Amino acid sequence: MAVVTSSRKKVWNRVAIAAVIVIAIAFLSPLYWIGSTAFKPRSLATTVPPTVFFQPEITPFIKLFTKRVQLTKPVDPAVYAAAPWYEQRIYDGGERILRVGPNIQLSQYPNRFMNSLIVAIISTFIAVSMGTITAYGFSRFKMAGEADWLFFILSTRMLPPIVVAIPMYLMYRVVGLNDSHIGLIILYTAFNLSFSVWLMKGFMDEIPKEYEEAALVDGYTRMQSFFKIVLPEAVTGIAATSVFCFITAWNEYAFALIMTNRRAQTTPPFIPSQVGSGLIDWTVIAAGTLLFIIPVAVFTFMLRNHLLRGVTFGAIRK
Amino acid sequence: MAGLATLHPSSKAAARGWSDLTIRNIFIIPTIMFLIIFNVFPLIYSLGYSFTDFRASVNEPVNFIGLANYRELLNDPRIWNNFWVTAKYVMVSVFGQMVIGFGLALLLNRKIPAKGLITTLLMLPMMMSAAVVGLFWRLLYDPSWGPLNYVLGLGNLAWLSDANLALYAVAITDIWMWAPFVMLLSLAGLSAVPQHLYEAAAIDRAGSWYTFFHITLPLVSPLLLIALIFRTMEAFKTFDIAYILSTQPTTELVSIKLYKFAFQEWQTGKSCALAYIVLIMVLAITNIYVKYLNKAKER
Amino acid sequence: MLRRTFLSLTLGTAMALSGAFHAAAQAEELTIFWAEWDPANYLQELANLYTAETGVTITVQTTPWPDFQTKAFAEFNAKGEAFDMVVGDSQWVGAGSTGGHYVDLTDFYAKHKVLDSMAPATVKAYAEYPGNSGKYWSIPTEGDAAGWAYRKDWFEDPMEMEAFKAKYGYDLAVPKDYKQLRDIAEFFYRPDEKKYGIAIYTDNSYDAMLMGIEGAIFSYGGELGDYSTYKVDGILNTPKNAEAVEMYKQLYGFTPPNWGKTFFQEDNQAITENLAAMSLNFFAFFPALANKASNPNADVTGYFANPAGPDGKQHAALGGQGISIVSYSKKQEESMKFLEWFIKDETQKKWAELGGYTCNKAVLESEAFRKATPYNEAFYQTMFMVKDFWAVPEYAELLTQMNNQIYPYIISGEGGSAQAVLDTIAKEWTETFKKYGRGG
Repeated sequence: MAVVTSSRKKVWNRVAIAAVIVIAIAFLSPLYWIGSTAFKPRSLATTVPPTVFFQPEITPFIKLFTKRVQLTKPVDPAVYAAAPWYEQRIYDGGERILRVGPNIQLSQYPNRFMNSLIVAIISTFIAVSMGTITAYGFSRFKMAGEADWLFFILSTRMLPPIVVAIPMYLMYRVVGLNDSHIGLIILYTAFNLSFSVWLMKGFMDEIPKEYEEAALVDGYTRMQSFFKIVLPEAVTGIAATSVFCFITAWNEYAFALIMTNRRAQTTPPFIPSQVGSGLIDWTVIAAGTLLFIIPVAVFTFMLRNHLLRGVTFGAIRK
Repeated sequence: MAGLATLHPSSKAAARGWSDLTIRNIFIIPTIMFLIIFNVFPLIYSLGYSFTDFRASVNEPVNFIGLANYRELLNDPRIWNNFWVTAKYVMVSVFGQMVIGFGLALLLNRKIPAKGLITTLLMLPMMMSAAVVGLFWRLLYDPSWGPLNYVLGLGNLAWLSDANLALYAVAITDIWMWAPFVMLLSLAGLSAVPQHLYEAAAIDRAGSWYTFFHITLPLVSPLLLIALIFRTMEAFKTFDIAYILSTQPTTELVSIKLYKFAFQEWQTGKSCALAYIVLIMVLAITNIYVKYLNKAKER
Repeated sequence: MLRRTFLSLTLGTAMALSGAFHAAAQAEELTIFWAEWDPANYLQELANLYTAETGVTITVQTTPWPDFQTKAFAEFNAKGEAFDMVVGDSQWVGAGSTGGHYVDLTDFYAKHKVLDSMAPATVKAYAEYPGNSGKYWSIPTEGDAAGWAYRKDWFEDPMEMEAFKAKYGYDLAVPKDYKQLRDIAEFFYRPDEKKYGIAIYTDNSYDAMLMGIEGAIFSYGGELGDYSTYKVDGILNTPKNAEAVEMYKQLYGFTPPNWGKTFFQEDNQAITENLAAMSLNFFAFFPALANKASNPNADVTGYFANPAGPDGKQHAALGGQGISIVSYSKKQEESMKFLEWFIKDETQKKWAELGGYTCNKAVLESEAFRKATPYNEAFYQTMFMVKDFWAVPEYAELLTQMNNQIYPYIISGEGGSAQAVLDTIAKEWTETFKKYGRGG
């Protein structure tokens, strides 16, 4: 009997793995296609049937980092010959790089990317920290109207951002927070906090109280037991919450568009602006998207084991 | 003061360091204050203007017009169409995400080589900005320059120009982007189900359906419901993807209408009123979910 | 303890912020806001010359087209000083002037004789509000209008020419009127060969589709209403206008598949990807078609002005923008100086050379300009027959109302007939004007 079960289980396992592979391919093929577009010559980006094999080039990335403009007349051969290789690539694509005096003009991509990093990292850190302690507070201590407060926290995420944007914008102008990193950090923290509290509370509830109580009896203070017993157990939850908050802050579009200008604007509103004029240059958008996904992907990959470990302590729940 | 959870206030442990009450207040109050400051102001602002004919784009006196905005909106069949479209969209897309996401989690919840890598890769869609996803899927769907129809052999199927199909095309994109979110939360929940419960079930010769419905599902349901709550709320707010993919009247979600009122036509008062109607609806729906969530947790 | 932390945090924030403000205020710097496209980059190049002359740095800040209106007006409505100047769309002049967002340039016009140097149609469209009031709010910057690109090689193929003549009884050539446009579109519509007749605008999220329909209505001799009395009924919903809308619907039948949300990029792509014989677009987007690197068919792409209607009247929908000074800017004086420099004939000539569509009369009429590109001649002709949409502050509401009715009719045939659709729009527009107290 046992043998039958285990061999049946093995078959099931194989079927499941096969299914995972099929679904993964279906899910990932659009991504592969975006990623490969980032290395395609422009003319191959929109072919039907799609081009799978091609000579990869890095021109899309050169385009991404420079400020370019459409050529209105053919470039002088002498100028072309004298130009550095990366500028020649741009000429080949029918564009030229703008110059300020003798220097080539870079695009805003690097700046925006830095802004994105600053804003997303700091706001994620604050949102997750606050969310963790608040979730602990709600999970362990009684509070009058607890359910209502939790619902209030949840409700802060229900209003569409476009509605909040106008009053926030006016408020920020009065306080002087518009077009600043701090302003965006505060906004994203507020935005992610409800999610962070709710998710962390789910995890906190799973951590048995018995462990803490034992620690308290052993002479720990409540704070010590929080830091030494609860936090290590909550790592999974913290990792998952951080990943989600980071992703949200990293990709936020509406507020970044309206609240910020040159100084603090993040990358998401920038990438679609690379569509080019007259014709969409998919290769540049793909290149911008590809580079922009790397930090989140790396962050997620680093935390993958925590994401998968689940809530280990559920076992001793009665 | 309501009694604190675990310890008697007069016990020795509670007396060391900060009191539980202090800790609770330090842990909870800043968050609540912060959220109040950053949400109550916009809420009051919007509520106030929802009773006026305020237009942010012009310098004209603002008049109090009572409930006229609400009356006008609720009597407008177009707005009801927006709500109907939104309801359909939320149902299709959230259902799809829950089924695919949870299904994937069930499949992945076993020993699989390179599981961490596979999970990370599967999460890539939700790591992109919605605007970019919208742009690329518009290209994907196009029969003349996108690969999708070619790969699936669908010929000239006009995904986004067909009034009936367009909403599903938008939902498919949203499912593609957010099913991984449900998958991840489900995985976290699934790995929390203690192995010995399954073993016990196997000894009792419980069928796999029985095991699933009586052991797996109840234990996963709190996290699953959190996923459901957040996905429903977000689906109600879907804007970028739908706006970029299609502008058919059959895909005009209420958030798109809201955007048009607020930022194209600058009918600020009216947009605030619509926002409030939406808010009340989402509050009501979420409330029902939360009740279920609390029930699920009690089990 | 907590209170102290909060206090120091707040103080620290305030100090960091005030520091940032000082830094921003020091440099002599002007910011011009525009949408993200080549003309904005050309303007940046032009402005760099100004920097070389005067030492004043000018930054052209851009945002994608779909966000341009949102972003600009969000800033205006909050009385923000982030932008000193804005190159605003022609329809904005109503909202910009009555909302107090734009600085009145009437005196500037008189002092620098702007009316003598700029083409009259452009001043009317981009700068004057209300119509015929003699009050001016912007300097015409980028002239633009809708025109057509077509495949010369398809048109000049002897086999095609013969087949066309046999079927329609006249020679296949650049269409003179909408009827011929339709015939040619029908002629080249061959889904089996993946060849289609025509590419038109159908995006209804803003003004794209209406620009296409407007072109037909204007050439059919119609109007969208009386722009001075706000009378719409009996002007918009005439049988002539219904015919024009009907024509646009027929043209939609000859477009490539999935043509339900298309704007300039798709229409250009229809030419580069060998999809369509003819393609509607604004002239500002034609450089991409004339460029061999982005359009493999560049050598065989020709251009023509919007064709005439049945009565021989010929008009085109206006696009384009004028540059205005934002009234919340703290650097209005500096901005005026820049505009003074910008309207000089030499600057305008340079502007045209860089790739900008100047509105300067002298430059437009010069032989050099008209020969400079394959499409400049068509552009030059078009600029004398342009008409525009309403420029009232509530133009966006009018756009939405028209889109709501017309889009389902063109794409899915809903709404009965073109006449019924126009009747509904006329009714809604009249109500809207009544709501805002226009036209008595």
